[in-house]
Amino acid sequence: MRLGARAGVLERDGLLRRLRGDGAARPAVDPGLAGGLRDWLEDGLVESVAALPGDGEVVRVNKESLNQVLVCEAHLVASRRAPRVGTVELARGSMVDALFRQWVTTGVIDDPWVDALAAFDVEGDRDGVVAFVAGLSPALRGRLMTEVADHAANIVDRWPVPSPAWLPRTQERLEVPLCGGRVVLAGVVDLMLGSPAQDRASVCLVELKSGARRLEHRGDLHFYALLEALRSGAPPFRIATYYSGTGELDAEPVGEDTLVSALSRSLDGAIRLCRVAAGTEPARHPNPLCAWCAGLPGCAPGQRRVGTDVPLASAPRAETDPGSA
Amino acid sequence: MSVAARVAWLTDALVAPATEDVSPSGLAQVQSDLVRDLQALGAELPEGERLEMDAFKVLLAHRHPDRCMSSGDTFVASPRLCRRAVGVAAVNRCVRRLSGAPGVAVAEVLAEGLEDAAVATGTGAVRAPWWAEWYAGLPSGGRAVVRAEAITWATQLLSAVDWPRISKPVIGGRQDRWQCPGAAPVVLKGRAEVRSLVGRRPALLVVATGRCQADWRVELGYPGLVAALGRDAQAVPCRVVGVWPQSGQVRVLHLDTAALRATASAVVAAVATWVDSRIEVERAAFGQGPGSEPVAVDGVPA
Repeated sequence: MRLGARAGVLERDGLLRRLRGDGAARPAVDPGLAGGLRDWLEDGLVESVAALPGDGEVVRVNKESLNQVLVCEAHLVASRRAPRVGTVELARGSMVDALFRQWVTTGVIDDPWVDALAAFDVEGDRDGVVAFVAGLSPALRGRLMTEVADHAANIVDRWPVPSPAWLPRTQERLEVPLCGGRVVLAGVVDLMLGSPAQDRASVCLVELKSGARRLEHRGDLHFYALLEALRSGAPPFRIATYYSGTGELDAEPVGEDTLVSALSRSLDGAIRLCRVAAGTEPARHPNPLCAWCAGLPGCAPGQRRVGTDVPLASAPRAETDPGSA
Repeated sequence: MSVAARVAWLTDALVAPATEDVSPSGLAQVQSDLVRDLQALGAELPEGERLEMDAFKVLLAHRHPDRCMSSGDTFVASPRLCRRAVGVAAVNRCVRRLSGAPGVAVAEVLAEGLEDAAVATGTGAVRAPWWAEWYAGLPSGGRAVVRAEAITWATQLLSAVDWPRISKPVIGGRQDRWQCPGAAPVVLKGRAEVRSLVGRRPALLVVATGRCQADWRVELGYPGLVAALGRDAQAVPCRVVGVWPQSGQVRVLHLDTAALRATASAVVAAVATWVDSRIEVERAAFGQGPGSEPVAVDGVPA
């Protein structure tokens, strides 16, 4: 099977228009903004960093750790201790990410399944996707193959191959060291478009999601907007999440309020992550994810909320884990 | 600082007149001390072994000395290793206006590599780049990863510099190589992504990975030192500018005699770590490592 560009021109044009912001003026770059944001973060982290052990261990703040620690510190600690479990949804997400990257880069997807696995083979399969799918039952593997093919077809139908003149780059890594490198904000953006900003913001960030829409996806995107502003000195003018299953695109402009709210959330999370790294007893905040938490058997507040001490995580996660995207 | 200002600042730093001189006697002393120390260390290497140092090995020895024992010399190609080689060739094409954008340039470089690999395999008439044969053997999904990594890398370098202000930049170019004189089997290899002439002295630009760390002076000093060794003092690089695109950081190391001496000391320390690790590896291979022999309660071999 070879997937190539075919019908759906209107959808593609519509998608591009939304990424470009429908002709809205791009905001002027405030040369002092990034420095101010950085100062704000570092001032807020001073005490937390001072309490860190002196072993030089770096506290890494990424979208996953932020989401987990803001839900519940004990949940974060339990997740880190628990063995990483593969799920069909996680495997699908990784494979669709690889195919999206291939499409944006080359404009061709030959066989979605073969291409995605080849990408992991050459890149180094850190998440163990190849072994995970090899261990699936034929029925589950067949279901996953169908899903991956559907997502790939959606991408090919609805996504234009970006012009090289827009400088599309994929899986761009962002790292922002704070407080002498003791805290590092980090992320990997699926797609960045646009040349670096001069007087006006000119970069657009796109995150791809193969799962259903979830509230925290906006938080992830705002976090990346903050990272880009801190790294390059200019925020992106637009950020978007593309859902490869449905073709939906959530796009929004980036204003100062976006960055300030992302900063506030990131600072809150970074302080909590520093507390955990300093060895402080993690705070417990019962929440709707308690039933899936690996730490439930040792967590009284979580057990009270759920009404059991048996985590749903002990069931086959491939069918039950709601935390995949 | 806006991006334009950041690019202007980096470019200013690269093209600024040299402010520090390296005296011929100062350079000779640094080199003489380095030769003495490396010869002594080289003599400790297991027989028949040879140590080739590059920036990665120097930094690994400083940051994670424990990992030197398990790090072999076997070269394994990967998209991350390949992206630099393809990326500099692509940036070169863009700066010389042979290609309009990094995406196009990378595709052209890769296509040329495939052609060269095909010709080289059959006839040996051309010398293909090191990555070409490996790349030619990849399936399309693997090739896409290589291409994507190279595009991202090339875009970062292309966007970091105000190229029209750089006079005759050498982008990529050959790596510097310095063999320690005498019988010492130690070789230093260094490279910079861009070289430009400031007066008669080169200025180097190095693209680094991740974020700037506390040992950035070693990271930038190393390619400067290797480029200086064996050369006339007037041809010693005047500075090394480092850019960390992932974090947006920039550092400038002015290469005077003190900076060369400090870097040489760091290199000697790194070589010592690698020599120790080679000795330990050999001991372990021949069953002479700690705990390899049965020991009686009084500590005497049983």
